[in-house]
Amino acid sequence: MKITLALLTALTFVTAAFAVEVGKPAPDFSGTDINGKTVKLSDYAGKLVVIESYNSDCPFCNNHYKTGAMPDLQKDLAAKGVVWLIVNSVNPKNSSHRTPEQAKQEMIDKKITADAWIDDSSGKIGHLYGMLTTPQMFVINKDGTLVYDGAIDDKADPSHDPKTARNYAREAVDNLLAGKPIEVSQTKPYGCSVKYAD
Amino acid sequence: MRTVLKPLIVIFACLATFVSHDARAQTALPSFGGASLTAHHTQAKLILSADTAKPGDTIWAGVDMKMDASWHTYWKNPGAAGLATKIQWQLPPGVTAGEIQWPLPEKFPPVEVTTYGYEKEVVLLVPLTLASNLSAGPLDLKAKVSWLECKDVCVPANQSVETKLNIGPETKTSANAATIELWQKKVPQTNDVYSLSAWWEKPASDDTRPLIIGNEQMMAAKNIKYDSVDFFPGTNDAFEIQAATETISAQSAYIRFRKVVKKFSGDWPKGISGVLVIQNGNSRYGYEVKLPVSDQAPAGETIPAQTPPVRAGETPALPLMLLYAFIGGLILNIMPCVLPVIALKILGFVSEARSEPRRVRNLGLIYALGVLVSFLALAAIVIGVKAAGHHAGWGMQFGSPVFVVCLTTLVTLVALNLFGVFEVTPGGRVLNSAGELASRHGAPGAFFNGLLATTLATPCTAPFLSGALGFAFAQKSPTIILIFLFVGLGLAAPYVVLSCNPALLKFLPKPGAWMEKFKVAMGFPMLATVVWLFSVAASDYGSRVFWLGVFLVVIAFAAWIFGEFVQRGRKRKGIALAIVLILLTSGYTYALENRLHWREMIAETDAAGPINQSGGTGWQPWSPAAVAQARAAGKPVLVDFTASWCVTCNAIVKPALENNSVAAKLKEMDAVVLIADYTRTPSEITDEISKYGGAGVPLVLVYPKNPDAAPIVLPQPSPLQLPSGYAKIVLEALDRSAR
Repeated sequence: MKITLALLTALTFVTAAFAVEVGKPAPDFSGTDINGKTVKLSDYAGKLVVIESYNSDCPFCNNHYKTGAMPDLQKDLAAKGVVWLIVNSVNPKNSSHRTPEQAKQEMIDKKITADAWIDDSSGKIGHLYGMLTTPQMFVINKDGTLVYDGAIDDKADPSHDPKTARNYAREAVDNLLAGKPIEVSQTKPYGCSVKYAD
Repeated sequence: MRTVLKPLIVIFACLATFVSHDARAQTALPSFGGASLTAHHTQAKLILSADTAKPGDTIWAGVDMKMDASWHTYWKNPGAAGLATKIQWQLPPGVTAGEIQWPLPEKFPPVEVTTYGYEKEVVLLVPLTLASNLSAGPLDLKAKVSWLECKDVCVPANQSVETKLNIGPETKTSANAATIELWQKKVPQTNDVYSLSAWWEKPASDDTRPLIIGNEQMMAAKNIKYDSVDFFPGTNDAFEIQAATETISAQSAYIRFRKVVKKFSGDWPKGISGVLVIQNGNSRYGYEVKLPVSDQAPAGETIPAQTPPVRAGETPALPLMLLYAFIGGLILNIMPCVLPVIALKILGFVSEARSEPRRVRNLGLIYALGVLVSFLALAAIVIGVKAAGHHAGWGMQFGSPVFVVCLTTLVTLVALNLFGVFEVTPGGRVLNSAGELASRHGAPGAFFNGLLATTLATPCTAPFLSGALGFAFAQKSPTIILIFLFVGLGLAAPYVVLSCNPALLKFLPKPGAWMEKFKVAMGFPMLATVVWLFSVAASDYGSRVFWLGVFLVVIAFAAWIFGEFVQRGRKRKGIALAIVLILLTSGYTYALENRLHWREMIAETDAAGPINQSGGTGWQPWSPAAVAQARAAGKPVLVDFTASWCVTCNAIVKPALENNSVAAKLKEMDAVVLIADYTRTPSEITDEISKYGGAGVPLVLVYPKNPDAAPIVLPQPSPLQLPSGYAKIVLEALDRSAR
C-alpha cells in the first residue's frame, strides 16, 4: 500500500513537472489528426492558436456544443485568423474513444470547424500540457507564448447557458487582437477528468 | 452487450438532463428510456432522524445516495475534475435547512486528475431547524438533488426526493436514525487533537509553491500513531492545493508532509482550510482544520530531509555520525583543497621546531581554535539558511560570486606574501632574519591559517564527511553545531597531536636560510589555487572575468609598492602609501564595480559550465522531468552532480566518467546521462542532493533500468584515488543497474 502511495505521489509530481506554464513558451508537439495528417504546433508559428481538450461524451463539453456556443466561438475566431486545435486524449479502451471515422462524423454532427482534431489517445500531448479536464482551454499568442490555461468559462456547470457566461478563451483572444493585456490568464479548469489510459 | 449499451445510456441520460432539465419532476427514469434502462447510476432518497418532531427542535435530514458498482459522485471539493452534489430544498414555511455536512470522501485516481468523492453509498447530512410556532400535523419536505456521476464516462443527473415529517408534542426518532448517526460519525470533526501549522517551504519559483503542514514537536512526544496522513483541501478559485501528498517525516509520531499549491490568480494564500485525514490500520479519521500559512517554518522547526530512498527506515545514530564527521575532517587534510595550507603549516612547524614546547603547543591549539571558529561560522550559516526555509549544502558559498572574488584576492595576497613581496606583521616592519620569521608565525598567523584551511576545505568533500554533513543538514541546530565542530576537530587533529608531542617533530631539519627558499616555493601551490578560483569565477562572469585578472594585477602591484616602499622604504613612505590606496580604490571602483560588475553573474545559459563534458557521451542537463522521462522510457539514468568549484568532482569524478570503458558501457546500456550543474548552487539541486542524504557535490546517482527501483548512490571518491579506480566503482554500479 505504502509503495503504491509513494508511486502515485511520484507520478503526480512527474506530471506536475511536465505541465506547461503561463507566460512561458508553449512546448511544441506533434500529433496525427483524424485525416492521418501530421500536425505540429510549430506549423502555426506566427498565428494565434487555441487548443481545446475535448471529449464530447463529457456533459460539460457537450453542453458547449449542444448549445452551439463552441461551434460559434470556433467560427468567430477562425474569421479572425485564429487556429483552433482539438486534442482528444481519451484512451482507446474508454467507451468515449473515437475512431477517425467516428470523429469525422462527429465533426459534422457537432458542427465543429476546428483546423484539426488531433487523436491523442496515447495522452502524450495531454500530459505534456497538463490537461486535467474536458473542456480545458489553452491560448498561445503569435510569438508562441502560452497566455491562457484553464477553464473555458466562469460557470462550472454541465447545464448552464454558455452564452451568458464569461468565456475566458474568447476574452483572451479578443484582448490579444486588440492589443490589450489579458485580465485572466489562469483559472482552475472544470469538467470531467481527461480519460487517460491507466 | 454492456459496452454497446453504455454509450446509449450516456446519450439518453444526457438528453434526459439537457432536454427536459427542469421539466422532469418526480421520476428518475426518462420517459423515453425504455423499461430496462436506468437513466442514471445513482439513486437518491431522503431520510430523517425523526418521524415526529416538536416545534423548536433541530432534526437531521439525510440525502442517501446509492451508486452502482464503480460509479462515484463528488465531495464539496470535487478535486481536479467533477462537480459537487447540490441539494435544492423546497421546504414549507418554518423549516430551515442548514449547510450540508459532508462525510469524509475518498481520493479517486487517475493520479494526474485526482478527484474526491464517494463510491457505493453516501448520506449527505443537513440540519433542519423547526420554528417554534409550527402547528402540529404532517409536513411535506422536498428537495431536488443534482449531481455528476462518473465511471469511465460522466453523467450529470438529478432527482427530486421527498418525505413526510410529523409535527407533534414530542420528538420521536425514526427507523433511519441509526443510519444518520452512523454517517454523522464519518463527518470530519473539529480538530482539537492535532496542533498543526502550515508554512511555505521556500519562495515560489513559478505558479506552484511547496507547502509544509506539520504538527509541533511537543505533540510528537504524545504517542500518536498513524500509517498515513493526508489533507483534503476545501475549494478555492484563486488557488488549488494539489492532491499529491509527500510524507516527509521519518518518525511516525510526527506529522509532516508536503503539498504543492498551484496559484491561478492573486497573491499566495495566507490561510488554508480543509480536512486532515489520518489513516491508521483500516480506520480513517477526518479533522476539519483551518490554518494560517506562515512564510517560514515555526521557530525551532526544521524541515527534515526526505528519507533517502536507498536507506529508508534507518536513522543513523548521532555518535556514529560524530565519528564520521571526525574521520571526514581528518581525511580533508589530504584532499587537494587543503594542500596549499598544509605547506604553510609545515613551514610553521619547521620554524617553531626548536622553540620551547609550550609555545609550540599553544600555537597548535590556536590553529585548532581558528579552524573551530570558522566551522562554527559555517554552522551558523547553515542554521540561518535552514531558518529561511532552504536546504543547506556544503560548499554552497562558492555559489556566490562575491565570495569567490574575495577569496581569489585573499589567496593571491597569501601567495605574494610567501614570495616576499610584502610582509604581514603587526607593526608593518621589515623582517630580515630567520629568527624573526618564526615570530611571524605567531598567534595571529596560526589563527589565520586555521581560517584559511577551513575556507579552502569547503569545496572538497571526503568519504565519511558527506554522510555526516548530509545527516547534520537535516537536524536541529545543536546537532548541526556539534557535527560541524567534530569535522573541525578532525581537520585540526594532526597539528594538535604534532604540536603536543615535539618529539614527533625531531625529524624536521633545523631552521636556516633554506626556509626562505622553501617559503617562496610554497607560494606556487597558492598560485595554483588562484588559477582554480579564477576558473570558478570565469563560470560566474564569462568573458568579464578578464577584469578580475586586471584587478588582481593591480592588487599585486599595490602589494609590491607597499612592501618595497612602505615597509622596506626609507623615504617618502607617505607618498608610497597614498599610491597604494589610490591603486586599491581605483582598482576596486573601475575593475570590480564598473567593468566586472562583481555582484552580478551572467545568465546561466551564457555560462560555459561543466555542461560541456567531453568523451563522446551525450550529456544532457539534469531536471527531475528529464529523469522521469528517461525512466518512463525504460532507460537507465546516470546523474552527475558537479560544480566547477568542486575539486573532487573535476579531479576524480569527471575523468572517471569520461573514461573510455565507462563511456562504452553507458553507450552499450543506452543509458541517459545527465549533468546537474551545482556551480551556482540552485535550490532544486540542493534539495535533490539532500534527498539522497548527501551534503554537496560530487554526487553520482545511477537509476536502474527498472523504473520502480531506487537509485544507486555511488560512494564518495576517496582522496588520492585515481580516476581509473573510481571508474571501476562506476562500472560496478552500472552493472548492478542493468540487472
